[in-house]
Amino acid sequence: MRRLLPVLLGLAIAAAGPARAESLSFPVLVPLTGFLSLEGTSQRNGAVLALKDAPASVTISSDVIDTGTSPEAAVTALERAAGRNVAAVAASMLGTQMLAMLPLAAEYKIPLVTVSGTASITEQGNPWVFRFFPGDAVTKEAHARYVVEELGKKRPALIYQTTAYGQSGKAHLTEAFKSLGADLVFEEGVDPAAKDLLPVLTKALAAKPDVLVLHLHSGPTALFIRQAAANGVEVPIVAGSAMHQPSTAALLEPAELKGVCAETAASPISGGSPEVEDFTAAYRSAFNTEPDAFALGQYDGMRMVLEAVKAGARTPDDIRKALSTGTHRGLAMTYRSDGKGNMAHSAVIVCYDGTSRVPKIAKRYDNVTGVVK
Amino acid sequence: MRETVSKRAPTLNLPHIAAGEGIVAVVVVALVAYAALYASPYGLRVLTVAGVYALATIGFQIVFGLGGALSLAQGAFFGLGAYATGILGSQWGWTFAATFPVSLLVPLAVALLVGLPVLRLESHYFALATLGIAQVVHLLAVNSPGLTGGANGLPGVPGIVLFGWAVPRGLPLAAIVWSFVAIGGLIAWTLARGRWGRALTLVRDDPLAAGTLGLDVGRLRLTAFALSAVYGGAAGALAVHTQRVVSPEVLEFPVMVSILTIAVVGGRGRVAGAILGAVLLIHLPEWFRFLERSYLLVYGVALLAAIVLAPHGLTGLIDRLFPPRPKPLPIPVAPPVPQPATGPVLQIADLGKSFGGVRAVDGVSLVLDAGSITGLIGPNGSGKTTVINLVSGLERPDQGRILLSGQDITGSDISGWRPDRIARAGIARTFQAVSLPPGATVLDAVAAARLDRDRSIVEAEAHALHILGRLNAADLAPRPCADLPAALRRRVELARALARQPSVLLLDEPAAGLTDAEKADLATHLRAIAATGTALLVVEHDMGFLLPLAGHVLCLDQGRILYDGPPEGVRSDPTVVAAYLGEGAA
Repeated sequence: MRRLLPVLLGLAIAAAGPARAESLSFPVLVPLTGFLSLEGTSQRNGAVLALKDAPASVTISSDVIDTGTSPEAAVTALERAAGRNVAAVAASMLGTQMLAMLPLAAEYKIPLVTVSGTASITEQGNPWVFRFFPGDAVTKEAHARYVVEELGKKRPALIYQTTAYGQSGKAHLTEAFKSLGADLVFEEGVDPAAKDLLPVLTKALAAKPDVLVLHLHSGPTALFIRQAAANGVEVPIVAGSAMHQPSTAALLEPAELKGVCAETAASPISGGSPEVEDFTAAYRSAFNTEPDAFALGQYDGMRMVLEAVKAGARTPDDIRKALSTGTHRGLAMTYRSDGKGNMAHSAVIVCYDGTSRVPKIAKRYDNVTGVVK
Repeated sequence: MRETVSKRAPTLNLPHIAAGEGIVAVVVVALVAYAALYASPYGLRVLTVAGVYALATIGFQIVFGLGGALSLAQGAFFGLGAYATGILGSQWGWTFAATFPVSLLVPLAVALLVGLPVLRLESHYFALATLGIAQVVHLLAVNSPGLTGGANGLPGVPGIVLFGWAVPRGLPLAAIVWSFVAIGGLIAWTLARGRWGRALTLVRDDPLAAGTLGLDVGRLRLTAFALSAVYGGAAGALAVHTQRVVSPEVLEFPVMVSILTIAVVGGRGRVAGAILGAVLLIHLPEWFRFLERSYLLVYGVALLAAIVLAPHGLTGLIDRLFPPRPKPLPIPVAPPVPQPATGPVLQIADLGKSFGGVRAVDGVSLVLDAGSITGLIGPNGSGKTTVINLVSGLERPDQGRILLSGQDITGSDISGWRPDRIARAGIARTFQAVSLPPGATVLDAVAAARLDRDRSIVEAEAHALHILGRLNAADLAPRPCADLPAALRRRVELARALARQPSVLLLDEPAAGLTDAEKADLATHLRAIAATGTALLVVEHDMGFLLPLAGHVLCLDQGRILYDGPPEGVRSDPTVVAAYLGEGAA
């Protein structure tokens, strides 16, 4: 027994040892391949950057899983992640993937933190979804108000994408312009694979609009603006959020961007505060690329989750409650749930001056309700 | 023997069942054990998705693997089934018992509607047309938000409810999906092993020959296309119940690419291939997910390696590693002898055919009596083969009439006398370039001629072996057609035509490439065939073979009859000598 005593003592000391941090998993399930790979990579980078600075009291693990662009792959990815002490998930920005993941998230009781703009994801009555990016109701109100109230235009022509993103934006823009007394003089949806947008541009100009309103993905936005510049179109262009992405601007010469404006949740490369500039510098250092609003939104979302953990949240339900009831002063804006999981209620309009690919913030819209009066 | 068997193209034929399906059975048992005892919810989900794709691919194997038609509409049928379930389930509140049958019927109806015009197209045009179907359906789904939810799709699709039991995720759902795979696989396997599957395989390998063997090529293709649509719809419905949401992604090209890849990697035309391919290819990307976006590179390399190492798919690889034993030959049985014909059997009057500005056949008339042998000679391009093509229905005449035992069988759009109908009426033929399916054995090839009249494959093979025996070729029965020398290929083709028990037999240069001994042997067989009452029309250039054999000879030149008389008069006819034989032959 005497011989055993030191051994038992040693085991007891080892077991008592320094307190081990709790382990929490925050999987990042985003589209890294397919037509949303650029945006998905921004999401991934924003989430990863946020999770680098975790509270000391917990050990963070974070698997990154590509969801592609199919709902099936997204659900499979969530099922794969769900069995590993998951506290919250950084979830795809693709609306159809979110719609597929929502029932499973509710079943597993896992909060999904996303930057998807698809309106319907927060209209399913699912308490486990939190959107850290203004939905179309917010951004499209800002978009339409800037066109009508700031530019004084009354004859908008709308060119949108025949995707979930495009159709959702088109519906909100149509409603917003109607409410502002500026009915669309032209509207047409274009396929994301279209290689020449001159025909739709020509048709739009034939309707004699006083502003061209775009709601297109990144590549088509750049193509449209390039073709408009090449044809000397002088009608102003106010684009959707894809335009603010540095990767979109990189496809164009600064001169081609002269006078082009775009709505977005934020434009981190445009600066605005020391904190945003610090974020941009850290992002560039970590990923050797420029951040966009999706990266910043996902960053803010995961930071709010980590703030909840720092405050003592240890279970998915703790985190859900914190996100549902709390307020978070993020880098892009201040976030608070509207009761449905819509956390972001601000949008900005950025404009390019024709000398660089870095836009300037032209107008900020806070506390947007999404109901234009 | 092992070597020759392994060279065969993969089909669903009996000789492949033992090894391939045996190993698949082991794999299935292992998967069941894995699912029941070990798999996590994630593992069960991946297995469920694999089941969905296995079912879609089993259907695709029917039209692509057996029928040889590269249908790129299988993804569209998958999507149609998915949307039928999605719309009826989420918007109308229908349950599985009602949505599932509708999800089979909608793609079936579309397949029947578009199949008739599309299936007339050849290979790549058919592929493009079916791709077009998929594009149209996709556009409709995206641009009909009121019905389909547009690009966002429709959430809230209910799960499967069976007899009041809501099937939960995990093992029960996987079991349900794989039960459908088992049922679907069994049906497809049974069909493929039977006369229908054999006929479809022949249509794939040689549609012209299939028609002249009495097989309705159009109907077979349409049935295969429709059946594949039903499988696609079933898979789509199960996919939506698994995802609980339907969106345009189910109609996008990646779904079709997945099905095509599964079929090729698993083994074309094999039910086992669809299952093995689906299990492998749905799991493969999951194994490499930890590589983030680089997994696609590894996935691509793995796929490439699979195709290089197993060009006939996984089931082909299994056959190569574990060659199946050859099936025992049946006991030969003589087919029932038809009533022998008498008098004039085939009457051709004023037959004419032009190809553009070329008059290939110009006013040809002839009569074949039962039991007679008639020679048809003439220089190359004189219209001999065109006459045979017109009689057998492969070409349609511009003028003239063809009567078979008094019945007008002149092929035209109005009369509906297609090659298969003409063949069933009693006309058989061989081809100038011997046409035998390369992946079939001699017995398979000859039995194919009996598919439309015998009650089973076993009966057809017993009759086929008897016919081969009549031509002293029974020992060739187990050999692959692709391995035969030219003379034996001609013998097999003759046996196949003879297996039709025709009243008229059209032979296009049957002695080409034969030695003198083989020609003498062939002549003996042809006389014996004629002696049973069959009328023979023999196109031949070898006068030494033909003239002693034929009772009557016609010589064509530029589509017109130059000589019509006894064989003895051919060499002395100045017009025949001038136009065909040459002065030295007289």
